[in-house]
Amino acid sequence: MAGLSFDNFQRNKFLVSKGFGQPMATSTGTTIVGCKFNGGVIIAADTRATAGSIVADKNCEKLHRLSPKIWCAGAGTAADTEMVTQLIASNLELHSLSQRRQPRVITALTLLKQHLFKYQGHLGAYLIVAGNDPTGAHLMSVQAHGSTDIGEYQSLGSGSLAAMAVLETGWKPNMTKEEAMKLCADAIESGIWNDLGSGSNVDLCVMEVGKDAELHRNYLTPNVRSEKLKSYKFDRGTTAVLRSSIHDVLDVEETVITFGNDAMEVDA
Amino acid sequence: MNGISVDINHLKKGEVSMGTSIMAVTFKDGVILGADSRTTTGSYIANRVTDKLTQIHDTIYCCRSGSAADTQAVADMVKYYMQMYASQLPIDEKPTTSVVANIFQEVCYNNKDNLTAGIICAGYDDKVGGSVYSIPIGGSIHKQDYAIAGSGSGFIYGWCNENYKPNMEKDECVQFIKTALSEAMKWDGSSGGVVRMVILDKNGVERLIYYPHEIKV
Amino acid sequence: MSDPSSINGGSALAMVGKDCVAIACDLRLGSQSLGLANNFEKIFKINDKVMMGLTGLASDVTTLHELFRFKNNLYELREERKIEPSTFANLVSSTLYEKRFGPWFTGPLVAGLDKHNKPFICGFDSIGCIDYAKDFVVSGTASDQLYGMCEGLYQPNLEPEDLFETISQSLLNAVDRDTLSGWGAIVYIITKDKVIKKVLRTRQD
Repeated sequence: MAGLSFDNFQRNKFLVSKGFGQPMATSTGTTIVGCKFNGGVIIAADTRATAGSIVADKNCEKLHRLSPKIWCAGAGTAADTEMVTQLIASNLELHSLSQRRQPRVITALTLLKQHLFKYQGHLGAYLIVAGNDPTGAHLMSVQAHGSTDIGEYQSLGSGSLAAMAVLETGWKPNMTKEEAMKLCADAIESGIWNDLGSGSNVDLCVMEVGKDAELHRNYLTPNVRSEKLKSYKFDRGTTAVLRSSIHDVLDVEETVITFGNDAMEVDA
Repeated sequence: MNGISVDINHLKKGEVSMGTSIMAVTFKDGVILGADSRTTTGSYIANRVTDKLTQIHDTIYCCRSGSAADTQAVADMVKYYMQMYASQLPIDEKPTTSVVANIFQEVCYNNKDNLTAGIICAGYDDKVGGSVYSIPIGGSIHKQDYAIAGSGSGFIYGWCNENYKPNMEKDECVQFIKTALSEAMKWDGSSGGVVRMVILDKNGVERLIYYPHEIKV
Repeated sequence: MSDPSSINGGSALAMVGKDCVAIACDLRLGSQSLGLANNFEKIFKINDKVMMGLTGLASDVTTLHELFRFKNNLYELREERKIEPSTFANLVSSTLYEKRFGPWFTGPLVAGLDKHNKPFICGFDSIGCIDYAKDFVVSGTASDQLYGMCEGLYQPNLEPEDLFETISQSLLNAVDRDTLSGWGAIVYIITKDKVIKKVLRTRQD
């Protein structure tokens, strides 16, 4: 029951051999970046999810929480980044509970790389892992096959080239929090404009040493849809209906009645 | 799978690889490891400041080439083995380079169908001083005075063969590695970035880094 | 054509309105271009306030409907309460991801009202990635057309009666441009005190 099931694998392989293709999974053709600064680390992501050339979600969340102070940005197969992140998040929680210590970024990274290596690249998760722990602020990345990198700044996803161009020109040592936030947002915006797989908004997460991580959901919204000037509301009765049936729902409402001393005096 | 012709040169699609220039050279007092710092995905440089010199024990290191994921996984395994092994040794004893190299060989040979890993294991121990072992793809092991490996090494076989001298002084050995790697990085497109070195001798570990402008070719 | 999720054809969509949600689907079941049935409903009731749409390979649609009915029954027995739409969405997600390396050929939708009667809709890809949306979600062989219709016609905070017209027109006009969808349509409007089912008059070609 537990774990993955390969029941349909044989059937689908047969279908493929008969000339049927595999369905298209939602992928986050993505731009994600991370950058260290004086006293912490920042990660950022765009918010477009694609299925082939169709934009499946215009405002999805690619910043995932591994633990309160360790966050990661995900690129690649959307379901894989989401599920692998949830799995490692719960394993980290159990680990920190049993060790009675705050989880460390290197622990998260090791759990991720060992899991991804086990699947030999078949789990398409490309992640930038960042956060604070008792040993300081850290920024690292993991690729689908299980290799890891460490650096002062990182970029991943289809827009990583556009983002890296910005990071390489704008990065300098010992940046302030504000400078780093600007640099990360600019790098993501470069992906949004120049990479077809990336678009919509910028999400950003700041992890400052000694402070709670703060998530800036939709930190920048450079692609707001202009409001329709007129309504496409149809007149009621436009659509021809053959049959109609109504199922009434019996809603059970719970109300809490507090018994005070006054309420007890029934025969006052 | 055909046991005779094994396809060992494949990388899985989109895999991060280290088309590399790495070497390790014994000198009078110990051993020096050197490596470039380029990691590639196809033609994109995924990391230009990679550290391919990985610590396995106090004064035993390895140089990694091939698949980044595979070599990191193997290095992590061996590092774990050595922590377990070292903890069971008498307190004044430390693992020898030959033990570490032979564990690398064991892992690389047993999993050779699934690995793309070319490793040079080098270290300093009190029993034999500096020593270098080459463990190429396939999982054989070769003890050498010096070893070169990776895609860039093809360009410097001749030069190294001409210029290597046994029992060099430390500075002379650093210069030897610096020149050799500079040349390999110059001709090999998959190698580049900075030159990293690790010097292992009785004094412990010393790290060196040479930036592109310091390398004159 | 060579994709298992477009052998049988069919489409579905869900929309959010003011204190209500709507979920609709066509009724066609085919084998490539041959129409087999015009009464193949792709929307299933989970409980009074949660419904799910299942498009794709018909055998997987039927199998998954039975599977989720079973899982929901177990949930109600264990928890002694009705499942919340967001909880059900996560159940769907993990059920689909369980088959990560041999997926069900289906694109599910979930629509419902939570315990505070707040609207909830979401869609999934075949391996369980959840697409949370504030406005609408689409699925099936006419999904490209549905995206276009919905982007054009949708507006927020529609009353149930107006939401019905918008979702119906979006579906009808989308499936008319898809050979594999159509042959009848049904719409469900879920409000806090009733669920209205309407069978639409559609083209039969």
